[in-house]
Amino acid sequence: MNRAKTNRSEDERARSEMEIDHILATEEELLPSSGFVSAVMDRVRQEAALPAPPPFPWLKAIPILLLASGGIVWSAVEMVRIGLPGLDLTALGQSAQSWLTNPLPPLSALQVRSLEQAGWVALALGTSLVSWLLSRRMAGRGGLL
Amino acid sequence: MNAATSAENNQADLADVARVLAGDAQAFEGIVRRWQGPLINMAWRYCRDRGRAEEMAQEAFLRAWRGLSCWRRESSFSTWLFALAANVYRSELKRFPTETLPLEAAPEPAGLATQLHEIEERGQHEVLRRAVLALPLRYREPVVLFYFHEMDLAAAARTMGMPEGTLKARLSRARALLRQRFPRLEDERGARKVFTLETGKEAAR
Repeated sequence: MNRAKTNRSEDERARSEMEIDHILATEEELLPSSGFVSAVMDRVRQEAALPAPPPFPWLKAIPILLLASGGIVWSAVEMVRIGLPGLDLTALGQSAQSWLTNPLPPLSALQVRSLEQAGWVALALGTSLVSWLLSRRMAGRGGLL
Repeated sequence: MNAATSAENNQADLADVARVLAGDAQAFEGIVRRWQGPLINMAWRYCRDRGRAEEMAQEAFLRAWRGLSCWRRESSFSTWLFALAANVYRSELKRFPTETLPLEAAPEPAGLATQLHEIEERGQHEVLRRAVLALPLRYREPVVLFYFHEMDLAAAARTMGMPEGTLKARLSRARALLRQRFPRLEDERGARKVFTLETGKEAAR
């Protein structure tokens, strides 16, 4: 009895889907209006007549970008240094070196905090870079990368 | 579109694209002439407004013109053009959505007897087609493109840039939503058969 009921509902579902397919697939074709091609071509000609946009001045931009990123890195280091006056960066460098030789050194809470902050800065920089690359890719531009 | 026509179109597209990229803007007219019908009909399925469909198709052609050098020839020109057009239509409709009733408000005829007449008089199928526009976007677009591509799942998946399995799942969910909203669809088909037997008028349908 239950099986018969299930079969019937399956049949109804299949019939209903066939009907949806039938209705949505049989649509009358629209014919383009007579002026469509000329309207598109007018706009294409207008665009073609415009002077090509000047290429992005990478030669000028690269030194500026390098300076800007240097500035950001310097600001990040300064922020960590000013924010944590007790932290000696040389000591931090030494501890990083010892970290490389000894994979699990005991880190003080202060060091963990400063590394965490540096990590956030690196993440922010990385996110900016990724969003810039993505926006260029979505805009369909070639160029440097 | 049969295979021979498709191959001819592909050759013509390649030739026209090469000419346009070489600086002959006029060669783009061939592309517009060949694809104006499909692009307008595709836009129509997105918005069901003739004037707006032509505007959206015009915008799609302009974007194609600007981005022609980005076509990498990994897929056919038509696949690239349809995917680009779908992007244009999607963003146009996000900027200025079509005015649609919520799915629950889409009318359904009260009874079979009146339904048969209303199918004749008011184009009841149009109600279902318009109800597609009331589906949530993630289900609406698969439906629009699947039926635009004459139920070719692979072509619709290529246009959407989506795996076929995902598209199939969304189509299935969309159909379920439409079935819930229009529970008498199967009755309609059954009723039409009865009507055919009784009157003999509807055989051509």
